[in-house]
Amino acid sequence: MSGASDTDSLLIERIRRGDPDAWSDLISRYEGRLLAFVESRIGHRGASEDIVQEAFVGFLNSLPNYDGRRPLESYLFSICAYKLTDHLRREGRRPSVPLSTGSESGGEWQLPGDARAASSIARSGERHGLEEQAIVAALREQVGRWKKRGDWVKLQCTELLFVRGWANKHVASKLDISEQQVANFKFDFLARLRSLIKRQGLSQDVFPELYDDEP
Amino acid sequence: MSHRLSESELEAYLDEALSPAEMAAVEMAVRQSPDLLQQLAAINGRRDAGFHSLGAIWRRHRVSCPTREQMGSFLLGVLDEQQASYLRFHLNVVGCRLCQANLADLKSRQAETDDAVVRRRKYFNSSAGYLHRP
Repeated sequence: MSGASDTDSLLIERIRRGDPDAWSDLISRYEGRLLAFVESRIGHRGASEDIVQEAFVGFLNSLPNYDGRRPLESYLFSICAYKLTDHLRREGRRPSVPLSTGSESGGEWQLPGDARAASSIARSGERHGLEEQAIVAALREQVGRWKKRGDWVKLQCTELLFVRGWANKHVASKLDISEQQVANFKFDFLARLRSLIKRQGLSQDVFPELYDDEP
Repeated sequence: MSHRLSESELEAYLDEALSPAEMAAVEMAVRQSPDLLQQLAAINGRRDAGFHSLGAIWRRHRVSCPTREQMGSFLLGVLDEQQASYLRFHLNVVGCRLCQANLADLKSRQAETDDAVVRRRKYFNSSAGYLHRP
């Protein structure tokens, strides 16, 4: 899933020209999954529909900033998640957590003393985007290779380690493999990413997880 | 969620990306533990400072999510068994919220009702005024 699909790009182009049929098509295409996403969390159809409605309006308002490098579906889900979070916060269901400076709400919070200590490494959004894109390309390539070869256990293992953040022991037990196998998969995966970062001249400092286990 | 929450899970919580049950469990845990709130704040701080996290990138770009076409095949029972097994893992163990929503949507489309048509019309009417016409 990289960038907007051709169908979505055409749809967006027509919506940018103010074509109501295109807007209606986009709604038909995406409202069901957005509604399912919200409703599974708050369990109330009326309120869920209101949140999806706000998300669509939010999408149109943010359209000038959508550059098409991100898949349309992910972009819509992220707007919906933001509206949902806002709703839950207003309802008092979701505790407020200090937010990053780039966020649009919750400014009443102060970050703990040392949380910003590393801000000296803050750099341009463009640089940050390039680093992320490099990692995404490497991850896609690796995951694609595992899927093609049928290396499902490696994929599952890596997903549990890095997406869920489970400990080696927990992953080994879930997948019914040895802890040594988990450690080996992890080592290989991290080595690949480290080598990519070195090859592309990216800063190691901003990928702390990749160097945690280094001797 | 009986184990100690990992950093990746807390990040997923901040991104509204855990399953609904896990989101509720984290919310309850945060209310009972000021330390957890500090941990979440520290994650926000690191993001603010420009650090990357593999899990967040993986989730945001949906690196391993099955396609919607594969989900459709899964519902029809014609997806290759290995892929179907991975899809179940991705939905139920990883708990990918966006894939869960997609699957729920595909299921409800199989039993499409007039409600959906009315709902779409409502969304259109309430938002079409925001279309920017050149």
